[in-house]
Amino acid sequence: MENTIAGYFLKFEPLKYLVTNSSAWLGFDTTVLIGFIIFLTFGIVFLGFLATVGGFGTIAERKISADLQARIGPNRVGPYGAFQLIADGIKMLSKEDIMPRDADKFLYYLAPFLSLFGVVCTIAVVPFSENFIMADLNVGVFYALAISSLVGVGIFLGGYASNSKWSLLGGMRGASQIISYEIPVTLCIMMIVLLAGGLSFGAIIDEQAGMPWNWYIFHNPFTFIGFFIFFVSALAETNRAPFDLPEAESELVSGYHTEYTGIRFGLFALAEYIEIFVVNGVAVSLFLGGYHLPFSFLEGTIPGNLLQFGTFFIKTCVLYYVVIWIRWTFPRLRVDQLMSICWKYLTPIAIFNLVGVAIWIVCFDGQSMFNLLFTGASHSGGGH
Amino acid sequence: MITLKAYLFISLVLFVTGLVIIISRKNIVAILLGIELILNSAALNFVAYSKYTAVNLDGHVFALFIIVIAAAEAAVGLAIVIRFFQVKESVHIDEASDLREELTR
Amino acid sequence: MFSDILFLSSSSLIIASCVLMMWTKNLMHSCVYLLGVLIGIAGLYLTLGADFVAATQVMVYVGGVVILMLFAVMLTGGKDFQSRSQKILGLLPLMGSKYTFMWGSATAMVFGFCQIYFFRHLFFELKVQETTSNQYAPTIEKIGELLITDHVVAFEISSVLLLGALVGAAIIARPRKERPAFLEPDHHDDHGEDHH
Repeated sequence: MENTIAGYFLKFEPLKYLVTNSSAWLGFDTTVLIGFIIFLTFGIVFLGFLATVGGFGTIAERKISADLQARIGPNRVGPYGAFQLIADGIKMLSKEDIMPRDADKFLYYLAPFLSLFGVVCTIAVVPFSENFIMADLNVGVFYALAISSLVGVGIFLGGYASNSKWSLLGGMRGASQIISYEIPVTLCIMMIVLLAGGLSFGAIIDEQAGMPWNWYIFHNPFTFIGFFIFFVSALAETNRAPFDLPEAESELVSGYHTEYTGIRFGLFALAEYIEIFVVNGVAVSLFLGGYHLPFSFLEGTIPGNLLQFGTFFIKTCVLYYVVIWIRWTFPRLRVDQLMSICWKYLTPIAIFNLVGVAIWIVCFDGQSMFNLLFTGASHSGGGH
Repeated sequence: MITLKAYLFISLVLFVTGLVIIISRKNIVAILLGIELILNSAALNFVAYSKYTAVNLDGHVFALFIIVIAAAEAAVGLAIVIRFFQVKESVHIDEASDLREELTR
Repeated sequence: MFSDILFLSSSSLIIASCVLMMWTKNLMHSCVYLLGVLIGIAGLYLTLGADFVAATQVMVYVGGVVILMLFAVMLTGGKDFQSRSQKILGLLPLMGSKYTFMWGSATAMVFGFCQIYFFRHLFFELKVQETTSNQYAPTIEKIGELLITDHVVAFEISSVLLLGALVGAAIIARPRKERPAFLEPDHHDDHGEDHH
C-alpha cells in the first residue's frame, strides 16, 4: 500500500491515531480496513470530480464552438451559462426510459454501464499529483490501456442490443475503429516505456521532472512525432470528431446510441466526455511532464500536492480545448478513410518511431536532445 | 489462507465447463467459446503452480504464451467459421461433414 | 485480507459466469458471460501476484478475443441449435441435452471430490515453497529476462506464428468477388446467330 493514496494519508498523525485506537478496540490490525475506507472516500471524490469535469465539458464544448462560429453559446442559466449542465442533467433525468420492443433486455441495460465501467476504472491509475494517485501500479500504463478496451465492447453491445439497423452499423463501426486505433496508441506508449524503463506512471513522470525541456515530447524527434500520433489515435479511440462516424448525426442518426434515451444516453455521453479527460491526462503524463512544476515546491505536503494537481489540471484542460477546437474545425472522415489512416499511415509511422527511439537509446545512451546540445546537464534519462 | 487446491478447483470448474460447452452445443462459434475456457483453465493452473511451488516465473511466461496462442487460434478459427458460413450458409456443426464417407448398407 | 476478498469475488464471478454460460440459450449472452469469466480470471491472477499476466489477459482477451467472438456471432446469425432431445415422460431430459451434461459433470465433480477427501491420506502433499520475499513484487523485469534468455526460441516462434495467423485469417475470411454472369464476354453469339 505504499504507492497508493491510502498509504500516503495513513502517514498523517490523526489517521495513525485512528488506526491504533480501532485496532485496540476491534482486536485485529485495522490498517487495511482504514485504508479501504480512505480508498472508498477518494474514489467517490475522484468520481464526483470527473463527472463534474465531464459535465463542464459539455458546457465548454457549446461555448467554445459558439466562439468559433461567432455566436454566443448558452448564457441564460447561471453566469455565462455555467450552470447549463444542471439544466441538461435535470432534463435528461426526467425523460421517459423506453426500450425498443424486440431489443435484447440484458444487453441493452448492460451496455452503457460497461462503457462507463471501462472509463472509470482508468481513473485508478491517472496521476493527478505525486501522492493523489489512487494506486501507482507497477503495470499502470498497461492496465489503463487494457481496461479502456471495455468501452469498445460496451459500444458494440449497445449497437447490437438496440435491434435497429442504424445502431448496428454504428456499433460495428465504433468497435472496429476502437480496436484498430489501439495499435498506434500502444506503440506510442511503448516508445515512452522504453525511454522511462518502467510501466508505472510514477516512474515515467519522475523522469520528466524539472524544466519543460525535460519533457518527453522534447526528448528526441521520434517522441515529438509520437505525441501527435498518440493524440490523433486517442482522439479516434474516444470516437471524437473528426473520427465520430459511429455516432454522427448526419450519417447514422446518432449511431449506436440512437435508441437510448434519458439517463442511459447520459451515461454514454458522460463516458465519452470523461474518457476525453482521462486520455488527455494520460497524454500529459506520458509526454508533457505530468504534474511536475519547474521547481519542486513543498513536496510531499498537501499544499504541494494541490499545486501539482493544479498544474496537471491546467495542462489537461489546454489539451481539452484543443480537442474541442479540432472537432469544430475539421470535416468528418469517411469510414474507409478512417481505416486507411490507421493501418496505412499511423501504424507504420508509430512502428518507425519505436525503432527510432530504440536506436536513439543505443546510440546516445538515452539522453535527450537538450542534454546533447547543451552538454552541461548530467542527467541522463532512460534505463533503470 | 488460500491454498493451491482452491486454484486447482477453479481451474477444474473452468475445464469442465469448457468441456460441457464443447460437447453439448451445435453452433461452431459456441464451441470456440468452450475452447477459450479450456485454454484459460490451463493458464490458471500454470500460474498457480508457479506461485506455490516454483522458484522462478516460468509459469507466468508460459501463461503469456498460452494467451498469445489462444488469441491466434481464435482469429484463425473464426476466419474459418466465416468462410464456412459463406460457403454453406449455416454454422451447424453437423454441416461440416463433406469428407465423411458415404455409409453403404 | 484484501487478497481473500478479491479471491472470493473473482472466483464467485467465474463460477456464476460459467454456469450462466452453459445455461443460456442466447449466443450473444454467452459471449458476455465469457467476458465475465475472463475478468474473473484476471482477478485471480492478481491474487497470485501475477500483475503483468493479469494486464495481458485483460488486454488480449477482453480487448480482442471477445470483440472477435461478438463479430463472428453477428456475422453468422447467432442461432443456437438445440439438439432434438426427447424427454422421459416429458420431464427428464435424455442424452444430448446440455442439461444432462451439466448435471452429469456436476455430479462427477462432487463424486470425485468425495473420493479424494475420503482417501486423502493416501496422497502425498506437495512441498509448498515459503516465499520470504515480497509477495506482490513486480514481475515484469523477471519475465522480460526469462523471455530473452531461457525462452527465446518460443518467443521468436510465437512471433512467426502470430504473423502467420494474421495473414492466414485475413486471406481465409476475405470476401470473394463474383462477377455477374451478364458481364462476362460471351463467345457463343457468333455461333448462335448462324442457327437462327
